[in-house]
Amino acid sequence: MKATLLFIVLISICATPVFAQSSISSSETVLPTGEEVAAHINSRDEGKSVSRKLSIEMRDKRGKIRQRETKSYRKYFAGEKRTVIFYLSPKNIKDTAFLTYDYNDPELEDNQWLYLPALRKVRRISASDRGDYFLGTDMTYEDIKLETRVSTADFNFQTIGTCAIDDKPGLQIEGTPKTPEIARELGYSKTQSCVDSEIWMVRTSQFWDIKGNLLKTVTISNIEQIQGIWTQHNIDVENHKTGHTTGLTFSEVDYQSPVSDDIFTTNAIKRGL
Amino acid sequence: MLLNADCSTLSVARHVGCKLRSDKKQLLAPNAGCYFAVISATIATLCTLLSASLYAAQLQSSVISSVLWSASSHNFKRQNYQLTVEPEFILRFDNSAKLTALSRLRSISLDALSPENVTDRAYSPYSKPLFIGNSSEFELREFYLEFPSENYYFTLGKQQVVWGKADGLKVLDIVNPQSYREFILEDFDDSRIPQWMANIETGVGEWDAQFLWIPDQSYHVLANDGALYTPTSPLLLPQPQIGVSSVEVKPFKRPARTLMDSDVGLRLSRFWKGWDLSLNYLYQYDNFALLYQRRSVTTNGLHVEMEPQYRRTHVLGGSFSNAFDNWVLRGELAYFSDRYFLAVGSDSDGISKGKEMSYVLGLDWAGLENTLISGQLFQSVALNRQSATVRDKTDSTVSLLVNHTLLNETVELRLVWLASTNIGDGLFRLRASYEWQDNLKTWISSDTYYGSREGIFGQFDDNDRLTVGIEMAFE
Repeated sequence: MKATLLFIVLISICATPVFAQSSISSSETVLPTGEEVAAHINSRDEGKSVSRKLSIEMRDKRGKIRQRETKSYRKYFAGEKRTVIFYLSPKNIKDTAFLTYDYNDPELEDNQWLYLPALRKVRRISASDRGDYFLGTDMTYEDIKLETRVSTADFNFQTIGTCAIDDKPGLQIEGTPKTPEIARELGYSKTQSCVDSEIWMVRTSQFWDIKGNLLKTVTISNIEQIQGIWTQHNIDVENHKTGHTTGLTFSEVDYQSPVSDDIFTTNAIKRGL
Repeated sequence: MLLNADCSTLSVARHVGCKLRSDKKQLLAPNAGCYFAVISATIATLCTLLSASLYAAQLQSSVISSVLWSASSHNFKRQNYQLTVEPEFILRFDNSAKLTALSRLRSISLDALSPENVTDRAYSPYSKPLFIGNSSEFELREFYLEFPSENYYFTLGKQQVVWGKADGLKVLDIVNPQSYREFILEDFDDSRIPQWMANIETGVGEWDAQFLWIPDQSYHVLANDGALYTPTSPLLLPQPQIGVSSVEVKPFKRPARTLMDSDVGLRLSRFWKGWDLSLNYLYQYDNFALLYQRRSVTTNGLHVEMEPQYRRTHVLGGSFSNAFDNWVLRGELAYFSDRYFLAVGSDSDGISKGKEMSYVLGLDWAGLENTLISGQLFQSVALNRQSATVRDKTDSTVSLLVNHTLLNETVELRLVWLASTNIGDGLFRLRASYEWQDNLKTWISSDTYYGSREGIFGQFDDNDRLTVGIEMAFE
């Protein structure tokens, strides 16, 4: 049975021109499907909860730099993932906080809130805002929520070949939005990601805008095991349209200290840290 | 160790504070001693409560400078320079307690906007700013201690509490009074008058409960006669009447019992099936003074005595918000059990008692990238009025907000339009800001009133203004 499946897969690969041209190193290698790769990425251990510091450096094409220091927490609950980010500095954005409930059920819209200290109010954000850029960075609200994961609810994935990661082969997957509506909402018509198949972490991604132009490149680096969990320490985003870049640096990553459920509430983001 | 030393010193100041409270004249004539006594008492309490060590101290400041041209539509004749310094000091202790102090020093060159040109009797002695000369003020804006304890979270001290979901229109955001020195042009964060209060939050089943005890009796502060934004609309002030030969305005009758005249509030809130819900209750003195009138006939004609005073009301309300696709629906509602409206005619005491129901319905649309478009309908309905009132039974205001950011949120463009549908007057606000660096921002804004002078907005038709400002932050 396994041999039959392998044969069918090999025939499929050989019959696909893209794969015939791509850098499959050995004709005996069977590449997992895009959906399988996506499933591996999304099932990678991220710990039940995590707390960490996140430094954000934004640089425009003229070299002007803006920096933000934040503290973020993430925790998995039954059927959902909750993430909160507190801005600690500089003063012009200090006390701003972002909270999101990301439901496993694709039928349920995510719930998002933003605390704006100037208004002293928690503002509900439409989940359709997820294609908007997050507080001046080159990452959208959706990118922030997914971090190193991929959305199988929004994209169809297929494996299109291999790619090089630190002199080792990785898997190149391509994501296409399931509907034009999703493409418009997210602002992407296509993504391509190079995935480290040893630890199932995306290492580089490219995003194309809805007109088909290359929009941005995301590079994930400085990956180490923290408390037994593979953890990225740097995410760099370059927006090719604006020349603007965003660098995220994670530090003091802690998967073991307990994270209170109460921190993922609108009251908590109003109080701040 | 340093904290302990401070505590013993401050207990003396607390004693001074008690003496001040026992002296009624001192209450009516607040001074710096009283002000600092309250601060001292709070720090002393803090010291007692905290058996913790200080582990972090943080000082941040903002310097905001603005130039403002204010005039009628065709003549930019008045000019004003304003300088504001806002130092903020935070102490963090190792038991999760946090002490925040935020003060504001403001200096203004134009007499008609000067800080002291307001109804300063509306401030409680413990919350009143210190006026320095004719053009400057210093105010301890906020000074509070936060600490968690078991299932409770305490915030004690001078603070702002904001309820509700509306933008720019207030239905439930009435816990703190507001300064109308610049009408509604100041940011609410700056115009809200922080009060000394105990704010205790806890979980009750699926609900979050917030209890407020506000012994600090401060009320709305209005611009005085001759100021730039002195209210003149008949909707807000009794108008001169035929046959009246003299008018005498008596001193404000303020509630003076610290305990019995306290405001109390309760909010229950929860997240339920995608909805953010709250139920709110407030037992407070209405923040606007009632202008009771007494008429008597003298040899010179009709004499009117006006006696401003404050009256209590129960406020019962709630709020909600939820997101649907590109849309966010939000709203708030409040019922006031005792309202006092300006009455029509000269045969009454000028006041018509009744009740009021107010609500705001808002719809936000985020269908365009980095753009928020938001519309709101505000309605206030006067119920069970004892006699005819100056205001209509139903008073409606609509608002529109368009906000767009560019260049990774370094540029922000904003349009706000507020319009009264009863009278047809309104206010257009445009603002563009640019963030040069993290700590340096500049902006230009315009505020344009239109419509009948009888309206809330139209009364300031001669006070359109253009503002250019710069804000620097220091850490």
